Amino acid sequence: MKSILNDLSELVERNVITNNTADIIKQYYQQKQEHQPNRLLTVFGVLGSALVGLGIILILAHNWDNFSKGLKTMFAFLPLVIGQAIAGYSILKSKNQSWKESSGTFIFFAFGACMAIVSQIYNIPGDLGNYLLTWTLLGLPLIYVLNSNTIAVLSIVFATYYACVVGYSFGDGSNPPWWYLVLLIGTIPYYVKQFKADASGNISTVLNWLYAISLAIVLATFIDNNWPLVFMMYAMLFGIFYNLGKTKPYEALQLRRNSFSIIGSLGIVVLLMILTFNVVWKEIFREQILVLSQEWYISMLLFIIALLLLFNSIRHKKNNKFNLFQFAFLIFAFIFVIGGTLEGLGVVLSNILIVALGLFALKIGADSMRFSVLNFGLLIISTVIICRFFDTNMSFVLRGILFVLVGIGFFIANYLMLKRQKCLTNQS
Amino acid sequence: MKSVHIFVIFIVIAGLQLFVPVKMILGKEDILNTGKLYKFRTRPIDPNDPFRGKYIALNYDLDEFKTTDSTWKRGEKVLVYFLNDSNGYAKVHAISREEQYSDLDYITAKVNWYNKRNEMLHFDLDFDRYYMDEYKAKTAEEFYIKNNQRNDSINTTYALVAVKDGEAVLKDVLINEESIKEFVDNMIKE
Repeated sequence: MKSILNDLSELVERNVITNNTADIIKQYYQQKQEHQPNRLLTVFGVLGSALVGLGIILILAHNWDNFSKGLKTMFAFLPLVIGQAIAGYSILKSKNQSWKESSGTFIFFAFGACMAIVSQIYNIPGDLGNYLLTWTLLGLPLIYVLNSNTIAVLSIVFATYYACVVGYSFGDGSNPPWWYLVLLIGTIPYYVKQFKADASGNISTVLNWLYAISLAIVLATFIDNNWPLVFMMYAMLFGIFYNLGKTKPYEALQLRRNSFSIIGSLGIVVLLMILTFNVVWKEIFREQILVLSQEWYISMLLFIIALLLLFNSIRHKKNNKFNLFQFAFLIFAFIFVIGGTLEGLGVVLSNILIVALGLFALKIGADSMRFSVLNFGLLIISTVIICRFFDTNMSFVLRGILFVLVGIGFFIANYLMLKRQKCLTNQS
Repeated sequence: MKSVHIFVIFIVIAGLQLFVPVKMILGKEDILNTGKLYKFRTRPIDPNDPFRGKYIALNYDLDEFKTTDSTWKRGEKVLVYFLNDSNGYAKVHAISREEQYSDLDYITAKVNWYNKRNEMLHFDLDFDRYYMDEYKAKTAEEFYIKNNQRNDSINTTYALVAVKDGEAVLKDVLINEESIKEFVDNMIKE
């Protein structure tokens, strides 16, 4: 704000704006600052609370054998009650956001610590999954009461942790973490509110990335015993991501804030890359894919959501340009069904689709003058070529020449685009 | 929404946060105070929990029962009825899916696996953690392993468990009739 005020005096001196306008601008910024909580204070408050809370958990995890049961119980409840008292005071006295964020973060960890120490005192059997679930379930409502960004972030992180503990416990009979979905849905109203208020704000961006990463991590925990369908499930999820990223509110964001577009396109490419190997299809052929299984239902549900998003996107955009990435999930589903019936066909079709996606990314990058997308396309194509070295019997000379050609391709494409960019800036 | 309304909702959430641990405490206290005490032969080992610290994991001798019923599935709930043997240690009397004997105590356990060859049903008892001071837990385990291998001098390690209505609370772990906590304390002092 200081720099703006300095600029104002310069602008008045040079007669760019009048004194009156300068005063109005000054007033506007002063009012804005009064309404905005001190960001630095909030950040340090939250960090401090998180560290103290985690510190308490660690101190209690020492298991103080010499303390009596009553004293241990008191220590279990003390931090929680103090945190609750501060949060209650902040709500009643309408304190600023720094108070609410800090006390909320502290309660979140103090509640975890309280349950941990009660478990210790009574040697309650160790089900980490259940413990994390109760913790997150009772911490989550604080998001809405305290309007807290930090608790929203913590809830998604802990929900993911819970899902991994329950769903990926190999050998111990892992179960699908259905409660994860409840926890995630519980955070969505807050996300929608924040997104509507400021779509390109920091908290919206953080939550965009967290949702995308969390869902991508957790989806595989819903596999029962029909593993080949995991490809289908993920392809449909990435289809949803990409098409969601192409809806109006998300497309208006900067690319780095649009996690759904990035993870959606990256995900489908990685998935197809795996399926370009013959050995993967051979493994899939060995298994019998069961229709009407849990994985099948999930794939269908995700497919329908992706399809609805695609229709929505086509309907709402005038002069709609064809984008192959938006249809990739649809083509993937087709390849998976066809490839499952005829051996060898799946590999060929996967290779064709991934090269087409690479070329399409090149085109998008060149059209929109984005070096990142252009190089993403080049990377896809060169990775496919490199991967084919492993399962084809090409001579070393030929492989060497291909490598050189791919390298030259990178140089030329980037050089041409740079030249075009310079030309366009000169023209304007 | 007014601050007062938000405050009321907050009080409900805060109350729930306090209620959950209090209910845990009350339930366990009731079993400890009014449940019947049994001795379960066991072996201790020393693992870690990211939030709750060091504990002694207990491997119970009482973990199988001969049955011809081969329909048991992994993870299924099994009611384990038991009696005291002539030495005063708990031993399995019967297992069932539903409540059967009103005069016997039982524990709800989880089926691990069914061995068709010797017709043994293996199950896991869920009171298998005994939390200890982080420095003592490792010492207790090391001492147990060393002595047990050398001359089997420790042959009376058992868990004291309070049981009521199918639920169990681990009260203490004893080595040669001495609480494991005091046992390790004395050992460190020596």
